[in-house]
Amino acid sequence: MHRIFTVAAKEIIDTLRDRRTMLVTLATAALAGPIFLVLIFNMMAQQSERARDLVLPVQGAEHASALIAFLEREQVKVVPAPADFEARIRAGELAVVLVVDPRFADDVKAGKAGIVRLVHDRSRDRARVSIDQAEALLRAYNAQWGRMRLLLRGVAPEVGSPLEVRTVNLATPQQSGALVLFLVAYYGLFASIMGGMAVALDTTAGERERASLEPLLTTPASTLELVTGKWLATTLFNGIVVAVTLAGFWATLSFAPLPPVGIPFLFGAKELGRFLAILLPMIALLPAILLWVGARARTYKEAQANVSVLLFVVALVPAIQLFAQRREPDWIALVPVSGQYALLNRALRGEAIPLLELAVSWAVPVGLAVLALAGVARLWSRESVLAGK
Amino acid sequence: MIAVDGLSKSFGKRREVRAVDGVTFAAADGEITGLLGPNGAGKTTLLRMLATLVVPDAGRANVAGLDVVADRRAVRRRIGVLSDARGLYPRLTARENIRYFGRLHGLAGAALERRVDTLVDALGLAAVADRPAQGYSQGERMKTAIARALVHDPDTILLDEPTNGLDIMSVRALREQLKALRAQGKCLLFSSHVMQEVAALCDRIVILGRGRVVAAGTAAELLAQSGAATLEDAFVGLLGSGEGLAA
Repeated sequence: MHRIFTVAAKEIIDTLRDRRTMLVTLATAALAGPIFLVLIFNMMAQQSERARDLVLPVQGAEHASALIAFLEREQVKVVPAPADFEARIRAGELAVVLVVDPRFADDVKAGKAGIVRLVHDRSRDRARVSIDQAEALLRAYNAQWGRMRLLLRGVAPEVGSPLEVRTVNLATPQQSGALVLFLVAYYGLFASIMGGMAVALDTTAGERERASLEPLLTTPASTLELVTGKWLATTLFNGIVVAVTLAGFWATLSFAPLPPVGIPFLFGAKELGRFLAILLPMIALLPAILLWVGARARTYKEAQANVSVLLFVVALVPAIQLFAQRREPDWIALVPVSGQYALLNRALRGEAIPLLELAVSWAVPVGLAVLALAGVARLWSRESVLAGK
Repeated sequence: MIAVDGLSKSFGKRREVRAVDGVTFAAADGEITGLLGPNGAGKTTLLRMLATLVVPDAGRANVAGLDVVADRRAVRRRIGVLSDARGLYPRLTARENIRYFGRLHGLAGAALERRVDTLVDALGLAAVADRPAQGYSQGERMKTAIARALVHDPDTILLDEPTNGLDIMSVRALREQLKALRAQGKCLLFSSHVMQEVAALCDRIVILGRGRVVAAGTAAELLAQSGAATLEDAFVGLLGSGEGLAA
């Protein structure tokens, strides 16, 4: 036992001496939250501003004065459309233009439907808010007008619209702003691989490259003691980096003067604690895997190349989950990275995570970590570890 | 005390490379035994088997009366190994490098500090002992590696080509250190491909060629055995001229 702590203590001191690597890792961790949140919040603020004061260029406003009056009552600023509006929409300078058909008034008088065209380019993300808003307003006007006509004819409006759709939004206020939530969860996961990477590789592949592994193997310390000590040190640094990353998000959300985007948002001290509890198996598992990858390589460089595969998996899985619209199957809770990501999302939505579920999410990562550490111990017991440098 | 009997080790997919092939010799306490042989003669593999890092295919080896396969943990407590790979931790000082190995050998507290001080003084490391190892010269690195190998005061000391890459002053300092250890009654096994090195230091010499013991004995015995006038001629004669004993 004392040898495990001897190895851990040595690796901790050794890592702390590498000031430049430590500083870069910690600074990256601490700044990730503030930088991303400020960027995202400003983007969202811009979008919601655009939605609030919709400026709608209209061509042929004179043909539908009642519609224009309705729009203006709804706080829309109606302006005359420029002649070259199609080109300007294509260029992204205008979001949406309303074109009233010249025969609108005549058609309406003749009892036919009046035609208005909403011209837009839906492939432009930034235009989407304005387009949706203009569409919704036109639909509302249509419904209102229809009801008026029925009432004038002595018919109850329900005759014309037998189905009344009432939407019940079950999203708690925290559920909106999914992108921000995704980022926080994503960075928490990502930090749990970045935090331990430098230490894990230096202490395995680096040890071999520096030719200090062979002397270590001639001491009475067993390979399992050696790797366990190295894992303890790596896990400690990993935990610190994850905590710093999450604290950065927490501090930014709590104290920074972010633009008001109307998202009541829950990432307080309680969520920070839940996050750490959910990420704990990752904080412990990923260093074990990194040590194993490092132990298989002869040099630090070779190890870094192999680690990029691991990075890819950790980075990709949450992204796939974000875009997968289907409800996730139950076994996903057991899969490392996926399971944690799902739990993180729930914690952000303000759900409490039952202890049993937390324990279940630990099972596979803990098993894998033990396997990885035993794998390193076995690798280092092989004669081939002495070959080359 | 080292006793090696019929030790063999082969490498390769079909075990086609016979690195060590039925080697038998003994190394006594209070003596420096030299393992002399050209590059590729099997010296490093032989030392690694004695250091319990490589398991022999056949034969037995005892170090301080303990079997290197059956009692490997116990053997490791009794041996000090200066292997071919002797990297230090560049961000740690010499003292910290030595102390780390001392702790792994079970030393602690005041006893460990005394031992580290003794080694730092004996090896003349005092001037650099509290600076990070990354700025060390070859000689300083070697001395730190030796101190690290001796921190637990082992009875048996295995040194693989310890003079490689050292300047003449460092080589002489090393020789004095090894002689001092011999005077303490330690058993030293010293491998080299440099004939002059072995001749200058060793009480008994074991000549290895292609994994086998070609000859063994004191310098005088080797001269008599080969019928040559000088040690150099004796080595060349015993190994066959093709081996190329580069100095």
